[in-house]
This record gives sequence, C-alpha cells and structure tokens, in this order.
Amino acid sequence: MDWNWYVVWEYREWFYRGIMYTILLTSVAISLGTVMGLFIGLAKISKIKILRIPAAIYVEVFRGTPLFVQIFLFHFAVIPSFWETFFPGSPAPQPLFTGFVALTLNAAAYIAEIFRAGIQSIDPGQMEAARSLGMTNRMAMRLIIIPQAFVRMLPPLGNEFITLLKDSSLLAAISVTDLAYAGINVAKSTFERYPPYLTIAAIYLIMTLFLSRVVVRGLEKRYTR
Amino acid sequence: MKKNGWNRNWLLMIVALLSFTLLAAGCGTSQPEAGNQQNTGAGNEQANTGDTNNQSGEGTAEKTYVVGTDAIYPPFEKMEADKISGFDIDVINAIAEAAGMKIEIKHTGWDPLFDGIEKGTVDLGISAITITDDRKQKYDFTEPYFEANQLIMVAEDSPVTKLADLKGMTIGVQGGTTGAIAVKKAFGDTYEGLREYEDTPSAVDDFFNGRVQAVVADNGVLSLYTKTAAGKKFKLLKDDSFEKEYYGIMVKKGNSELLEKLNQGLKTIQDNGKLEEIHKQYFVQ
Repeated sequence: MDWNWYVVWEYREWFYRGIMYTILLTSVAISLGTVMGLFIGLAKISKIKILRIPAAIYVEVFRGTPLFVQIFLFHFAVIPSFWETFFPGSPAPQPLFTGFVALTLNAAAYIAEIFRAGIQSIDPGQMEAARSLGMTNRMAMRLIIIPQAFVRMLPPLGNEFITLLKDSSLLAAISVTDLAYAGINVAKSTFERYPPYLTIAAIYLIMTLFLSRVVVRGLEKRYTR
Repeated sequence: MKKNGWNRNWLLMIVALLSFTLLAAGCGTSQPEAGNQQNTGAGNEQANTGDTNNQSGEGTAEKTYVVGTDAIYPPFEKMEADKISGFDIDVINAIAEAAGMKIEIKHTGWDPLFDGIEKGTVDLGISAITITDDRKQKYDFTEPYFEANQLIMVAEDSPVTKLADLKGMTIGVQGGTTGAIAVKKAFGDTYEGLREYEDTPSAVDDFFNGRVQAVVADNGVLSLYTKTAAGKKFKLLKDDSFEKEYYGIMVKKGNSELLEKLNQGLKTIQDNGKLEEIHKQYFVQ
C-alpha cells in the first residue's frame, strides 16, 4: 500500500488552521465550562431546592445525551430558532459559535459533577471547625473547603480536559474548521486515508500529552505541596 | 531521580507514538493481500462456489456481487427503514437483470465504499459517483449512465450570476464531492470561505439559516429543494463554466470482467429505453 504523505504537506494550511481552532475551542470550553461547572456543582449540593433541582436536571440531560446529538441540535435547531426570535432577519451565528456553546455546555455538566464530588469528599468536620471559628458558610466554603477540594479535583479535571480536547473533533461535522475537519476533508479530497488520519491522530496525541504532562501535572505539583 | 523520571516518561511517550504508527502501518500493508482475493467479499458465503463456477466458465449467475452505496443522497439513493431505494438503485437493479447478475446492495457510506472497492469487500459502487481523472487513476468506471452539472444556490435577490461571483463569500459544499472540487479549483485549495459538510442537506440547512451565502452541489440534489422548500427565498443558478459531469459505476482497478458485464447491461437498458424510463420517474423536466 503506497501512502502519499505529500498530501499532508500540500494541505498544511488546513492542518495549521485546524490546530489553532482546536486549541481555541478547547481552551474556551475548558475555561468557561469550569466556571459554569463550579456554579452548577455548587447549586447541585445547595440546600435550596430551586437551585438544586435545575442543576441536577442540567447535569443529567447534558451528561446523558450524546455530544454529537447536542452539537447538531444546537447548530441546526436551537441556536437558529433562538436567533430568529431575538434578532429577526440576521443570519444565525457561525459554526464556531455553535461549537463553543455546545462544547462548553457539555463540559460544564461533567465539570459540575467533578466539583460536587470534590466538595463532598471533604470531611464535614472541616466545615464544622470553620463555622465554630466564626466563619460564615460562604467564607468557610471559599477559604477552607474549595481549596482542599480543588486539589482532589485536579486529576479528574485533567481527565475531563483531555476528553474535551478529543470531543471537540465532533464539531467537524458542522464544518467547524478544526483539526479533525482538516483530516477528514483532506482524506475525502485526495482519497488518501491513512496519511491525513494518522497525522491528526498524532497531533491530537501530542496535544493531550501536553495537556496531561505539562498543564495538569504542573497544576498538581503546584497545589499538592 | 526526578530528572530521570522525566526522561523516561518522554521516552515512553515516543515509543508509544512510534508503536502506534507502526501498528497502523501494519494494518496498511496487510491490505493488498486481502485485496488480492478479488470478489471474495468478507462473510460472503457464496463467494467460494461462485469462484469455482467462474473457473468452469459458466454459471456466473451464482456469484452475488456486493454493490456498495452511500444511501444518504436522495433522490439517487436513500434508506427507507431497512431498504435502500432511489434512482441509482433502480438503475443497478435493471442493469443486473439485463446482464444476468445477482447483486446484493449494501449501505456502506461514502469513504468506506471507496476503501471497500480497493480491498475487495465491495465489488462495485453506484452512488452518484462522478467520473473524474483523479478517480480514474485508482478505480475503473463503466460508461456514464447519468449526466450531471453543478448548480449554485443563492438568495433570491443575490446579484450572483456565475461561480466567479462567489469570491469572498462563504460557500457550503458536501466534503469531497465535485462541488467542493469546483470551488477549490476556482478559489484555491485552502479558500477561507469554503465550508465542507458531511452531506448536502446540512449545507443547504445552513444556507437557509444564513450561515453560508451559497451552496454548490449537483443538480440532481439541489433541484429537489424547488419542491420541498418552495416557501424559502432562493434561486438556483446554472453556470456553463462548470465542466459537465458524468456518473459512472465504479469497480476495482483492473476488474475488466465485471466492467464488461456492467457495460453490456447498461447498453441493454439504454437501448430498450428502460434507463430513460427510470430517469423520468425521478427527474421531471
């Protein structure tokens, strides 16, 4: 089987652009998803029912349905009809925007669970001790519980970030020009399958290795001492 | 100790990467062997008897040819529950009948169809496949059975009259199709405004959503929307600068025996008017 690796070089601009888009998508989804996830996670363990129930439903729905379906629903149905209602006549936002929305909302559901589990893993005695020192519930949360929980959350968070990076490849189906899009469409245009697919697989691998070895391990080193 | 640990980790990673590549390479090299056993589709129980019959020269009707198609391209082919129907399907059935061949139609998907023909798990492909020079280097085609041309879908009030006018606009296409090839030819392989979708209906959906300003695709598919999306504001443009395209039935390179049978069957249904009859059934005009 003769593989023509030259096609990868020929379409190098697509791969460069793909890498940029994949990094952009993943970093936005990671940062926004983490912020959203924190609030949803806190809402899920809140004593207030009107916070707890919607948060629980949110997590179940986004965690329990395929990301693939969520992407298509948001891209072709939810966002266009939303746009038509609030900004009539203006074109629906570009796939990149839909991609951000779908990926972030999905990530938030998983991250919320990581936060919830992290917080609940801290011995209740910590809260009691903080409260008996005169801290308010919110202060105790911010100064005592969350910092400890954060350390325990780092490994599962790192895992989630890696999953997210790879899941962003599903957005190629709605023509987000990410790394997967480059691989798939080069394969389709040139009839060379292995070189483009192997190339993107290797690049994804390098990116996930960077994420786990440098980013997550760096954070773990910093916060576990 | 720390430093050592790091080095070893990196080494491990490189080894992992290499073995991954080698593994894939291994899969790649094993393919020609599979491909050599022509026509023995995996899991095709009749393949053996078919082969022996072929050697004795007669009884070719015994062999069941596996027909691959990407059944998400109406009106050429689509899935109806567990049945595949469409223009191409009617054509291949008519050809098979005329040539006395036994066929089994399978929904393989577009990429696996090309791959399957190379490997020999699929004997022939009919899936609105345009005969192109690039494809002819890797596969063999029958005589054309359908003439296609690209159409441009734009807004009703758009000043666009031809492909060249689309420069600077966002254009939706189905990835890997001749529509995509035509746009790349006109504006460059890495044209910023090009959006390649999994299928043409997705591109058209995004046209109606205002995300792309034009769609370039085959007449057979785009003209369907004049019926199904009559309320929407769009027009279809014909540009004579597009090269005429012809759909052919694809077989493995060098499989002249099958090619001959198909061509003979095709000629029969062309001559007896059956092909035209099927055409009229699907394309009014």
